[in-house]
Amino acid sequence: MNKIKKSAYAGTLESSDAFVQIEPIEEDEIRVELTSSVEEMYGDDIRELIKSVIKELSISYISVKVQDKGALDYVIKARLQAAILRANEDEKINWDKL
Amino acid sequence: MESSISFSEFDFTNKRRVKRVESFLNSIGLDFPSSIEYFVIAKDGDKLIACGGLDGRVLKGIAVAPQRRGEGLILSVMTHLINIAYSKGVKDLFIFSTPNNIELFENCGFKLIENCDNKIILMENSDKLKLYKERLALHRKDGNTIGSIVMNANPFTLGHQYLAQEAAKRSDWLHLFVVKEDLSEFRFKDRIKLIRQGVSHIENITVHEGSDYIISSATFPTYFIKDKGEVNELHAKLDLSVFRNHLAPALGISHRFVGTEPYCVVTNNYNKNMKKILENPDGKSNPIEVVEIKRVEQDGKAISASRVRELLKRGDFKELEKIVPHTTLEFLKNMQGKQ
Repeated sequence: MNKIKKSAYAGTLESSDAFVQIEPIEEDEIRVELTSSVEEMYGDDIRELIKSVIKELSISYISVKVQDKGALDYVIKARLQAAILRANEDEKINWDKL
Repeated sequence: MESSISFSEFDFTNKRRVKRVESFLNSIGLDFPSSIEYFVIAKDGDKLIACGGLDGRVLKGIAVAPQRRGEGLILSVMTHLINIAYSKGVKDLFIFSTPNNIELFENCGFKLIENCDNKIILMENSDKLKLYKERLALHRKDGNTIGSIVMNANPFTLGHQYLAQEAAKRSDWLHLFVVKEDLSEFRFKDRIKLIRQGVSHIENITVHEGSDYIISSATFPTYFIKDKGEVNELHAKLDLSVFRNHLAPALGISHRFVGTEPYCVVTNNYNKNMKKILENPDGKSNPIEVVEIKRVEQDGKAISASRVRELLKRGDFKELEKIVPHTTLEFLKNMQGKQ
């Protein structure tokens, strides 16, 4: 499992988007803090989604904060991936993996 | 109706645009906050419809024109502000606002720290307060009288030493907090070192590093420009409420000790507010008794750090020797030697 290099963010606070902040932590876990305007209906699904996106990239030791304003799944996924790429300052992006 | 909203960012050097923000805020009945570094504005055509500012770690002057509220403009303004902050390497942010805006800023990822008198609120977008409280709680000691002192000690004098000794005598344990902000003549690193040396003979004391939550530019911005007499009473009350409701309970603090303040009006007012806020019998947390200890005098004058700075400028070490402990004196001599 990999650590991210530094903290980073992606997205906006606007409707139908999500604002994602990630930070490296000491513990071997994926810590998710979600605030969502659709918590009642989709909260658990979104948390699952966040965890699975991070696991696909073999990352741990990470804290993820998401302010969701009713974003669709692929928006959240894209914002999260963008934040992780920024955190690792990846120059070469492995598009197959994303 | 057609409309094209555009956003732009600029800093305080752009006088002409800053002026526009100022008149916009005034036109909707808001004061223009002092010392904003970066601004964000939203315009519809040529008309200013929303704005916001960043000052270090604090977001200020966020407003939307009344006829344009409810469109979510504030979310765009906040996104821009957070982007600016991130690009400057600042990710833990604070907001001062009024209680009617709590929900609005909660939607932007901020959490309420304190609501003072239902007039002013402080919010933050991180968990740093919780972490700070947890770290403090590790230093908790048992006892009936758990004392506390908050000092800047710019630099540490015999007056500070006397206050610490007296407070320690009257407490089972004493927690001393050092203001962390590097806005004083002496750096934090040096101030805390001199305090540690100057209280090393006291057995029942813990010296704590301050934080953003105890007289800092985040909780109490006007403290550091007190020479201008611009201290905002609400800021002072807010700072004290955070101390009472968050920091004191973490350590079980029952008393707060302060030196009497004969000279500085600002500090004197702060001490008055301290009694009001900390001793108030009804509140979210246990009241804290405020004990004023008379300042030590030397040649009929109370010892103060500002006097030390004055004497230092003149290089008058003979006089300095009378009002600072030898550890501080050594430091000042070394400092002078290097210059």
